[in-house]
Amino acid sequence: MASVSSARESLSHALNNRFLPNLEYLLQGSILDSAVEHLMHRLKGLCDNVDTSPETFHDLEVCMSLRQPNSNQPLLLRVRRALGRDAPFQMRYLGNPEVDQRRPTLVRSCMDCACTNGILEFLTEMGFRLEFEYIAKGYMFRKGRMKITVSKLIKIVPGKQQDMANEPISQSYIVELSVVAPTGQENVGEEMRVFAEQLKPLVQLEKIDYKRLGGMP
Amino acid sequence: MGVTVLQPYPLPEGKSGAHIIDQLGKRLLALGATHSGQFLVDCETFISTPQPHNGAPGRAVHVLHNSEYPASTFSIIDNGTGKQVSLVADNIFDLLMLKMTNTFTSKKQTKIESRGARFEYGDFVIKLGSVTMMEHFKGILIEIEYKSCVILAYCWEMIREVLQGFLGIGVAKEFPSYFATQTIMTAMGQQQLHAKHNDIYEPMDTVKQYLEQFTNYRKHVALHGGMVSGGGQGGPTVGQPGVHIPPSSMVGMGRP
Repeated sequence: MASVSSARESLSHALNNRFLPNLEYLLQGSILDSAVEHLMHRLKGLCDNVDTSPETFHDLEVCMSLRQPNSNQPLLLRVRRALGRDAPFQMRYLGNPEVDQRRPTLVRSCMDCACTNGILEFLTEMGFRLEFEYIAKGYMFRKGRMKITVSKLIKIVPGKQQDMANEPISQSYIVELSVVAPTGQENVGEEMRVFAEQLKPLVQLEKIDYKRLGGMP
Repeated sequence: MGVTVLQPYPLPEGKSGAHIIDQLGKRLLALGATHSGQFLVDCETFISTPQPHNGAPGRAVHVLHNSEYPASTFSIIDNGTGKQVSLVADNIFDLLMLKMTNTFTSKKQTKIESRGARFEYGDFVIKLGSVTMMEHFKGILIEIEYKSCVILAYCWEMIREVLQGFLGIGVAKEFPSYFATQTIMTAMGQQQLHAKHNDIYEPMDTVKQYLEQFTNYRKHVALHGGMVSGGGQGGPTVGQPGVHIPPSSMVGMGRP
């Protein structure tokens, strides 16, 4: 009888055969509060999941960092928790963006991992420290395999994650268009560029050069 | 999912592991159990590289997989001061661990696994596992699950009876040591007795029992190595108190 393969074997099988989604393609932009209604209408017209009202989300994102020996850059892991509902915590690793200028979108390695709620304590025991945290609240749309989020970023008063007193960071919404796909799917970027064109001139979705933003992680 | 109990099976002297497993398998089939595939539980331990500058003690992250839950990775961190935190995550967690190789290095030589045949017998699932570390045979672990109940206290007697029935050895009446009453600290910092056998059973409990046993096998190797000159007398008590294991049968178990 065929013996069971180990988890490590099936994982490398998924990686080698390119069906493990591990690359994030990303375009970002922003829109003023006063104009966000127009964008919502446009997205409702373009996207798939609009039979009812757009899907909302209200997440707390905590970024944890681990200082590594022999490396200047700390390892960052982002843990997301839904504030409004009971759902598994989501942990995400994001790599450095690729330097290829010809690609229409930002491309970086990405790993998503659902976990039980002990994750923050687990990471703390591993030596991770809190880097920053914020709340993202907004709407999520889908178009094929593309995900579009329109969200408000909210600053947290330390120790008051649930509090209504927390204030928005700015007078605008951040708009993100992303796809997480396996390695080697070059047409994703083009598909996204075409979609981004359709949102102009309401919002200008761009490939953001993180290096130019300076000390940002 | 139900309650699972893990028991080490003492290896009689002069018998090979494969022979015993074969015998137990035949006995199960004769009882009316049906063979239903294979199973695998593996464990890899990552040790943090010491950080003398901030005085942090060495931490160990144990990463385990159980073929019964193929989409999950189980991990338990031991912070060196006796505190343990456990986590269940998607398989991708394995790749994340590889991102931390600068801080957490895998102790490859202690990679250990239990694999073997899986049997179903009414509401029971029985797994006959042979434990190997670095391809060396270490011993036999019997896993028995009673699928219709999630609290050990309610079904231990029945599990025990089935175990005795096909193992042909006596199993102590007391709850297995993993489920024994233990003192815990409450959130208020008070000590409290906690009866684990009354808890609702979770898949993590199975994994923790495996880790407990795997740790024993690993320790045994370390101790055994140092005892060769002493004639191998009086090996450490490896098994749970629930099973009567003559110490003599444990010594030399690790040698092929």
